[in-house]
Amino acid sequence: MYVIIIGGGKVGYFLARDLLDRGEEVTLVERDGSRAEFLEGQLGTCVMRGDGDEMAFLRTTGIERADAVLAVTGEDEDNLVALQLAKHHYNVPVTIGRVNNPANVQIFKALGVDEAVSATEILLGALESSIGRDETAPSKD
Amino acid sequence: MIVGCGRVGSRLAQSLETAGHDVTLIDRDPGAFTRFVGRGVLSSQLVDKAVVGDGCDSELLRRAGIEGSDAFAALTEGDNRNIMAAQIARHVYNIPKVVCRIYDPIREEVYRGMGLQTFCPTIDGERTVSAMILGKAG
Repeated sequence: MYVIIIGGGKVGYFLARDLLDRGEEVTLVERDGSRAEFLEGQLGTCVMRGDGDEMAFLRTTGIERADAVLAVTGEDEDNLVALQLAKHHYNVPVTIGRVNNPANVQIFKALGVDEAVSATEILLGALESSIGRDETAPSKD
Repeated sequence: MIVGCGRVGSRLAQSLETAGHDVTLIDRDPGAFTRFVGRGVLSSQLVDKAVVGDGCDSELLRRAGIEGSDAFAALTEGDNRNIMAAQIARHVYNIPKVVCRIYDPIREEVYRGMGLQTFCPTIDGERTVSAMILGKAG
């Protein structure tokens, strides 16, 4: 499986490390030069410095043959555009995005992204299932 | 509704408002509105109803009244922000007329191909200057 990860922050770094450990082929794309250098020191040659929304650069990552693209930068709009380009222009079969604003989970899906994950939403869900249920249940009992 | 209170956004907002339309301006920088009032571009009435916030935030757009609007222009400095805001307006809120500025000619071509009404100041500027140099300007 060939996976392209856009955004070399903490999420992108651990994703790439985990997938490499599993023997998958990975390209990790990072915009910032010094961050890319650090990542290369940790992960090796799978790191590429560039913009995940620049078409000319995306082509150099071999995106046409990618099985999946994951966009995990801290900016929802950058993730959306990178994934739409992957989906609509390069026909990548699986596109997954990280979103910061929980409302963007639905919006990403409506705009053609296969899967969107919001840490905020997951944390809220965890909070509700731990506390919220106990508080709302008694009125029915 | 206009997202992005820069040189283009502020002038467009004022000319539409002067022509009798009801305009809401959105910018994440509150200083953007006062800057263009100071330059005499924006009236204080327009600034009074302007909204500070992220134009890519669907909830903020709803609170700013996007559901009742007839047209939407995405005119921030960021191509991706414009692309996202314009698509939310078009596909989530079904605004009939949506215009999106994209500086990158390649991205502009892709999103135009996907049905977004876009324009590219880079190409427009190149054509204008080229026509002037080659003596084809009107």
